[in-house]
Amino acid sequence: MARKSTFLLLTPGLFVTGAVFLSPFAFLALTSFWTQRPNSLLVDPAFTLVNYVRIATDMFFLRVLFHTIYLGVITVLVCLVLGLPIARWIARRAVVSRGILVVLIVTPMVSGAVVQTLGLVNLLSLLGVINGLLKQLGLIDRSIRFLGDELGVLIGLVQAFLPLMVLPLLNTMSKLPEDLESAARSLGAPAWRLWMLVILPLSMPGIIAGSVLVFFASVTSFVTPQILGQGRIQTFGTVMYQQSALVNDWPFASALAVTMMVLLGGLVLALRAIRQRLARRSNVAGAV
Amino acid sequence: MKNGLKSIALMGLGAALGSTSLMPAMAQDFSGQTLVVGVWGGDIERLLRENVIGPLEEETGANVELLLGGTGDRVAKIYAERANPTMDIAFLNIFEAPQALADGVVVAPDPDLQMYKDIWPGMNEGCYAMSLAALGIVYNKDEFESPPEWEDLWAPELQGRIALPPFPGSEANGILAIAGRLAGADEHDADASFDKLAELKPIPLTYTNLDELLLLTDAGEIAAAPIISGYAISGMENYENIGFSFPTDPGPVLTRDMLCLVANSPSPELAMLFAEKALGVVNQTAYANELYFGPTNSNVELEPAVSEMLIDTPEEVETLTELDWPYLIENRSAWTDRWNAEILAD
Amino acid sequence: MKLRRAAIDTVWIAWMAIGYIVVLMPIVVVFFASFSDGNTFRFPPSGFSLKWYQAAFESSEYRNALSVSLLVGILATLVSLTAGTLAAYALSRSTFRGKTMIETLLLAPLALPHIVWAIGLLQIYAWLSIGGTLLGLVLAHAALTLPFAVRIMLSTFSQLDKTLQDAATTLGASPMRVVVHIVLPLIWPGVLTSALFTFLTSFNEVTVSVLIAGSRYLTYPVRLYSELRSQGIDPTTIAISAMLVAMIIVFALIGERFLNWSRRV
Repeated sequence: MARKSTFLLLTPGLFVTGAVFLSPFAFLALTSFWTQRPNSLLVDPAFTLVNYVRIATDMFFLRVLFHTIYLGVITVLVCLVLGLPIARWIARRAVVSRGILVVLIVTPMVSGAVVQTLGLVNLLSLLGVINGLLKQLGLIDRSIRFLGDELGVLIGLVQAFLPLMVLPLLNTMSKLPEDLESAARSLGAPAWRLWMLVILPLSMPGIIAGSVLVFFASVTSFVTPQILGQGRIQTFGTVMYQQSALVNDWPFASALAVTMMVLLGGLVLALRAIRQRLARRSNVAGAV
Repeated sequence: MKNGLKSIALMGLGAALGSTSLMPAMAQDFSGQTLVVGVWGGDIERLLRENVIGPLEEETGANVELLLGGTGDRVAKIYAERANPTMDIAFLNIFEAPQALADGVVVAPDPDLQMYKDIWPGMNEGCYAMSLAALGIVYNKDEFESPPEWEDLWAPELQGRIALPPFPGSEANGILAIAGRLAGADEHDADASFDKLAELKPIPLTYTNLDELLLLTDAGEIAAAPIISGYAISGMENYENIGFSFPTDPGPVLTRDMLCLVANSPSPELAMLFAEKALGVVNQTAYANELYFGPTNSNVELEPAVSEMLIDTPEEVETLTELDWPYLIENRSAWTDRWNAEILAD
Repeated sequence: MKLRRAAIDTVWIAWMAIGYIVVLMPIVVVFFASFSDGNTFRFPPSGFSLKWYQAAFESSEYRNALSVSLLVGILATLVSLTAGTLAAYALSRSTFRGKTMIETLLLAPLALPHIVWAIGLLQIYAWLSIGGTLLGLVLAHAALTLPFAVRIMLSTFSQLDKTLQDAATTLGASPMRVVVHIVLPLIWPGVLTSALFTFLTSFNEVTVSVLIAGSRYLTYPVRLYSELRSQGIDPTTIAISAMLVAMIIVFALIGERFLNWSRRV
């Protein structure tokens, strides 16, 4: 494609990102090197590293950031394990049920996080419906603590973000060439080899897109960890809320946000490097 | 350059003020003008529409628009927009108002105005006092035979079943100060306060909305929690097992909603008219009867049954615990770290 | 062999059911709770009534807020979908220095916590005097949702068979014809998916809107949130949520019957 038209096509996207995302971000990054005046919420624009020193020395914040990333990774894995079979079934098997299966998986995106999260509180509390049901079935004697526990937050994150995984997967998996699969099958390849060698590699664009969306959504989410974590689970979202909306320490909140962006950026670069190395190795293997 | 811009803006402001004060005859006609009021949604919004906005729009021809949100959002907004505000009136809380005044983002209350004088003396700190409430205890009736005192929250058999509000905030700072007083000190002794409060650990729930707190308290998962009167009292009418207590030793912690006029706002005169009506007898009586928010206007007279459920006289205010808010604000960042580490962590 | 096939299908469906149960659990609660005769959000509900549905239809405030959300959602979707599709096309069809950087930049808003970003944006808007305007809100939502559109369209274009386009071009089709007759039909599923993501994200966005939205363009989630911040959830909004979900399902089924849309997703 011609260089000129490439940049022309990129212009609207870059304008929106630059004007509405990048300029506040630059401002925020600048603020992170400032502090608030004593006994005031007004900012004192004198360069200082105080906020970053505080983040680096008080292990609380770094621990929260890493723990949030860990929760995000687990959420992605659970969404993949649940989402792949759903997307595959809708793409290949469902005929009459296709429309309803797609729309049902999208419903969490329709009715707002707050109402649904409070619905989950009703279900997951110690004396709630799920614990009652499990007891009635004789599966447990004592209530399981979902709320205020990682388990509850994880359930909430998966509930909220599974659609972000399934739709991109479906987008990719509906377009997989069927002849390749039938060829593999007629050669006697067992199902798991078919998945490992054909379906998963060809679905990679959807897997990556879905994983990126789910990961970032869960890492930055606030309502779900706040309400289901009941204050016992601290995440990036809850700490950001505390520092910016309750303490009103906007310079420090900005420094936290910048730190998290740097961590995530580093993670993305590392993953990209690994992927490139793997790709090179398989190319070499292919050549041999 | 920056100063140049500023002086142009000041000149503009001066011109605007000058021109309006030159036309006193037109003062009541605001057709086509818009007033923007930042306030909570729900019943407060409904009462303001009925008692303040409706009449005001009729009398002045102006258009009143509401910007809904929480106080933290409004603080963020009036500070971020202080060069070019879009909000004329912001409802803030007891400690945000004096801070906002000190930082120059709101207008100081004017002691010469009648609406200032109608309010009980000593309450217009930072902005105009709009309503009174107090930090008391919401509790499950099966757990307590009589309305609990603060000390009862520390009963060994309730350990792990006392919910707390998020820190910092008027509720969380309030219960921390109460803990300090129970330990024989007060809010100025951070160590004593934190140590005493930490005895309640583990904290089963940090509540961020009334629904989850009342739901879990009604079910008995939560035995009790410190919470501000008003909504908790009107809300608990929907639950069978929930009661509310105003403790006496020490008394409940005083909190106030404040009505603030935003500095350099687009429609300062309309804002004044809105404030007069909002602080007036009709609106404050409705606040009291329907929401159990205590009136600040000394001319409000309430039925005895209603008066019992809320804070409505200076004598009652005397029995409340008043906190040294400037000191608490000064320490809010450091104490937030302590709260996260000492109260929330297992 | 047939028996084995059926057994695999059963396990498969059971596994899928777990996903659907997790996703639908709270929505079922919302649905039942919306018919409650109590004044709070509780499940199981105490008794049956339609009063919250009646309240939902009578409230002009909720109606206004929902129409603002609809308007903002549609406009933001148009902006973000157009910008996102064009950018993804450019990125997938050419190589140039700094391409990775631009791709990362376009996706970066995903990683930013909305609350501090909104505070920064608020100051910029105040400086530009577009605080509280529809334009400001739509641009904010477009920036928030652009990464969704870019990400999904990138994966869509990466699957697009380029030989078809090359063939068409070789046979003398103009670039416009190639786009309209070859590219668009092939990327349609991706466009629909992106539109759905963008619209629904905008329709439900709270954190940024609560600071950026002006009094004249107050969205439905902001109204809901502001109530939650004071006295708690208004059961009317539970009835509205239930109706929104029901509406989407009904539309989807009708659309499926007549347009067979799900084939295209």
